[in-house]
Amino acid sequence: MSAETAPLKTNLPVPKKRPDSPWRIAIRRFARNRLAVIGLFIVVFMFLLCFIGPHFSPYDLYDYNKLDKNLPPSSKYWLGTDKLGRDILLRMMLAGQISLLVGLVATSISVIIGATMGALAGFYRKWVDTLIMRIADIFMALPTLPILIILGAILSDLKVEPSDRIYYLMLIIGVLGWSSISRLVRGQILGLREQEFMQATEALGLKDRRKIFRHLLPNTIPIIIVSATLGVAGAIIFESSLSFLGIGVVPPTPSWGNMISSANNLIDFRKRPWLWIPPGMCILVTVVAINLIGDGLRDALDPKMKK
Amino acid sequence: MKQYIIRRLLQIIPTLIGISIIIFAISSLVPGDYITAVDNPTMTAEKAAQLREIYGLDKPPVERYFTWVGNMLKGNLGDSLVHKQPVTTVMNNYVWNSFFIAIFALIFSWIIATFAGVFSAKFQYSLFDKIVTLVIFLCMSLPSFFIGLLFIKFFALDLGWFPVGSMKTSGLNGSTWDQLVDIAWHMVMPVTVLTMLSTGGLTRYFRTSMLEVIRQDYIRTARAKGLKERTVIFKHALRNAMLPAITLMGFELPSLFGGAIIMEKIFIWPGVGQVYLESINMRDYPFMLGFTVFISVLTLLGNLLSDVLYGAADPRIRLK
Amino acid sequence: MKKRMSLLLALMLLTITVLAACGGGKTAEQPPSQGEQQETPPAEGNGEETKEPPAEGEDAGQGYFKAEDPSANPKAALNRKDTLVVGMTAPKGVFNPFYMQTAYDRYVVDAIFDQFFALNGDGTYSNRLAESVEVSEDKLKYTFKLKPGVTYSNGDPVTVKDYAFAMKVYHDKSYDGQSDLLSVHIKGGKEYNEGKADDISGIKVIDDNTIEIEVTEANAMTKDNLGTVYFAPESVYGKGYKQGNLEYMKDLHAKPVGSGQYVLKNFSPGQEVVLEANPNYFLGVPKIKNVIYKTTTDETKLAMFQSGEIDMDMVTVNEDNVEALKEMGFLDINIFPTNGYGYVALNHKDPKFQDVKVRQALLYGLNRAEIVEIIYGPYANVINVPQSSESWAYTNEGIEPYEFDIEKAKQLLDEAGWVPGADGIREKDGKKLDIHFSATADNPVIDALIPIMTQNYQELGIKLTTETLDFNAIMDKKDKGEFEMFFAAWGLTPDPDSTVYITDGQQNDIGFSSPEYDAAMKKGLNAFDLEERKAAYAEAYQALNKNVPDLPIYQRRDAWTINSRLSGVDITPYKNFAVDLYKAEIQQ
Repeated sequence: MSAETAPLKTNLPVPKKRPDSPWRIAIRRFARNRLAVIGLFIVVFMFLLCFIGPHFSPYDLYDYNKLDKNLPPSSKYWLGTDKLGRDILLRMMLAGQISLLVGLVATSISVIIGATMGALAGFYRKWVDTLIMRIADIFMALPTLPILIILGAILSDLKVEPSDRIYYLMLIIGVLGWSSISRLVRGQILGLREQEFMQATEALGLKDRRKIFRHLLPNTIPIIIVSATLGVAGAIIFESSLSFLGIGVVPPTPSWGNMISSANNLIDFRKRPWLWIPPGMCILVTVVAINLIGDGLRDALDPKMKK
Repeated sequence: MKQYIIRRLLQIIPTLIGISIIIFAISSLVPGDYITAVDNPTMTAEKAAQLREIYGLDKPPVERYFTWVGNMLKGNLGDSLVHKQPVTTVMNNYVWNSFFIAIFALIFSWIIATFAGVFSAKFQYSLFDKIVTLVIFLCMSLPSFFIGLLFIKFFALDLGWFPVGSMKTSGLNGSTWDQLVDIAWHMVMPVTVLTMLSTGGLTRYFRTSMLEVIRQDYIRTARAKGLKERTVIFKHALRNAMLPAITLMGFELPSLFGGAIIMEKIFIWPGVGQVYLESINMRDYPFMLGFTVFISVLTLLGNLLSDVLYGAADPRIRLK
Repeated sequence: MKKRMSLLLALMLLTITVLAACGGGKTAEQPPSQGEQQETPPAEGNGEETKEPPAEGEDAGQGYFKAEDPSANPKAALNRKDTLVVGMTAPKGVFNPFYMQTAYDRYVVDAIFDQFFALNGDGTYSNRLAESVEVSEDKLKYTFKLKPGVTYSNGDPVTVKDYAFAMKVYHDKSYDGQSDLLSVHIKGGKEYNEGKADDISGIKVIDDNTIEIEVTEANAMTKDNLGTVYFAPESVYGKGYKQGNLEYMKDLHAKPVGSGQYVLKNFSPGQEVVLEANPNYFLGVPKIKNVIYKTTTDETKLAMFQSGEIDMDMVTVNEDNVEALKEMGFLDINIFPTNGYGYVALNHKDPKFQDVKVRQALLYGLNRAEIVEIIYGPYANVINVPQSSESWAYTNEGIEPYEFDIEKAKQLLDEAGWVPGADGIREKDGKKLDIHFSATADNPVIDALIPIMTQNYQELGIKLTTETLDFNAIMDKKDKGEFEMFFAAWGLTPDPDSTVYITDGQQNDIGFSSPEYDAAMKKGLNAFDLEERKAAYAEAYQALNKNVPDLPIYQRRDAWTINSRLSGVDITPYKNFAVDLYKAEIQQ
């Protein structure tokens, strides 16, 4: 690197490099994965587009224009207009702010709770397993819709600012979704804890926490990543169905899901593809990108993988 | 094992009690009741009060809970307020229609997902893998009603191959065989779309666990032994890769009977999903609660089943 | 997780029609579509013998549009020579005249059962089973004579004893259907309901074909209320009846026996109801042998018309749908005003809405024409009185149209003492003018209403906080009086009598009060002469118009689309297709 390090090298006959931490190895491996880096780039780009893009738009969220209803893309409206004469490009970018946050935050919550609970249940078994899995059963059996209706009514009674309600929504979607991930993780851990490497950790006298979080959970990363990528897409689409319960976004605020849903008839479908292709593409691109990152992460974190 | 199953079955009891308390609490917290939902503009206050009394809506929630549970123990789920029929009759009218499309979709999606998952793992990052991945995400990125509309436009309107919707041709008076063929014809599109929707996630799971397994030492050993690649993949690798699938299998049980709301709506399939949704919107609590309990029991059984299968499939796991 | 999500995902689509299906009650007639689940149009109301045609409604947005190219008819439809397929939201299977509650179950009941009266297109009634009706001088005694020789589909003769029995059912303590015959005040009805008497003393069966009914209180609607009870054979529906126990009725919902035009042949829940012509119908055998009510949904109705799978259906009226239907060429479209209206309610218990100037300012300051135009184009109009333009009680005389005038609105707010503060928001006595607005989320109108209202009111200097809520949650807030301002749609009954704005009226959840209006409404209800009633209601609407109890927004359109191969299908805002189904014909 620089001149200063050179003399050291001559003095000390120790290894060429400091032994890398697993995290550094992972980051390096990740950076070497071309597809994963592209995925990361796309997600960052989507964020920038959605959060900075609207500042450059000549239009405003509250604009409408009855003379410019349902126009196809043109130089004035790059992606056309909807039935209220609103610019689709602006709406697509604003929608991304909501959808990206909902997708990522809700899924992260589910994954964190689900993975932890599943790991605890699978590792300790006995009554811990029974307790956690029965709680998971209850969560799986809960009727989501009525819960959300209640939440909407409570938030309204408490006069929570409508624009803040989306955060509660993320929380609830996240909390309600942990149970299936926890069952998957637990299933894996039940098998993993009987493998040889766990006997090794036993012999080394490692602490439980270390066994779970350093040795067991990393082995379940592949399945967690699949759940997470599926969850992101699910949450984005899911949000669109909630506006009318009073906890989704309030019109005119758009989300990708509700932009697509508003084109829910054969006429828009046939005649006005610009209404649904842009938000549809956004969801697709985001989901694929997140999946590429996921694959990269899995390869990077996989202890068995040697390159 | 037997002891384990008995213990798990016993555990279902407290879990169900917990579920029943929570869902009942939810139903009584939801704003509005059947009378407000019907919203009859000519209903007088006396009439509304009288109806609430007949339906028992005027009693305190705790008392209503015990009445409900008491009746349920006697096998009586009450009468649906919308359908004016016993909840069990209403469920019986609609659940089987949902079951038929769900079971076919389940079979097809598991078969397709197994093959797609195995091959895209075997040939990771190949063109096949990439196409499969893209198709899966395409299905996941568009809301399912959209895929449904797409099918209706192409296959029903443009090509005229299949009917737009519903379960049978109105006014068809053929033999039993003709009617069965007619129903099968109507099932094609909903089953296809449902299969497409559920295959995506499954394929991802199968691909991932296959990728894991292929790298294991015993696969290398099997190959080294000179076994045929097909034997290695389908006999040795697949068996182990299917382990996480067992957990997923448990999730399928309630969904077989739960109804696919969007598909039923788009293809006008007379399933239970729409009836359930309506019971929520109409605050038809007897049906809503009854159906939720029914699905809860299936969820619990499904999870129990997957745990038992898991123990049987993987001898390393000792269920106690 | 995914499964449950997909379940929820359907919601947006579903509330639209599922809720609409439930609008009804005994009063439901036209199935409301697109989120106006609150609109529960007419049926059993009133109307007098004479009625003027509606004064308004000559615009391009309504009327009967004939098919331009009947030859484009799809084969599938043409091949069904003796079968009519009517598309609708799925009936629930309660085909029992005592218990049916959705508009769709009512279509079935109307085809299978008959009443003394039948609806005319204009909302009035004429005799069907009744030969004659006599009303005593004091309007307290009604003598109905039944046409002789009519039989039920099981062969039993129709007699007035069945009518007397039906009345017992409606007055029974355990009766939990939607009909409310107790409010007709039949003598002895209350005693029967409370179990103090074994008979309703006000009902006298004189012979098999004559019955006399005595009421304790009469009003303009009494006669029609009495004449619109369905005839059902006591031998079937009364089997096992004990006073105070109607449990057995449950088993009869799916097995209707009536004297009407059609008989039920088959019912597949969620799929179809198959009806067959009653060969002994007393007005002549229905011309179409088979009628099938088939389940449809908003998303695919048009496709089913195109493929010929349905002959008739109610279609949501908007520019896209009407254009697509006209393009198909072989469909007649009957567009008429919906029996209901969309409005913004104000809570009069809230001090800021107690000043009439503030309420007027809110109305002047809201560009309603723009909202309506952008969502419905020509297929809706701004309204200023809470009554359908089709009703005989409708008036626009002496009605201020409150056209959008932001300057006038500002001036009114100034006069009311609300003056702009430092941040541009108006204040009075140190309180800012902020309004919390809840809108029913599944109504297409809110897409335009919210942005336009936000902009308009911002210009007025009002801070508006908007939320969207589940319909039932809003109704709950309304019942409890815990709201500031909400948007919803409201159904109208054919008779203008209503308790929505009457001081302490049963449905007056907004707390509005106007002695002038109360007096006019009372006059209208107690008058028996139509001209007298008209004048009274005109007075009432003028009082409302001046006082602005809420902000009336729009009345939209409903439409029945009918394949041109059919003729004689009679549908109006008041009368559903099933009432005179026997006259409909398939042209060959």
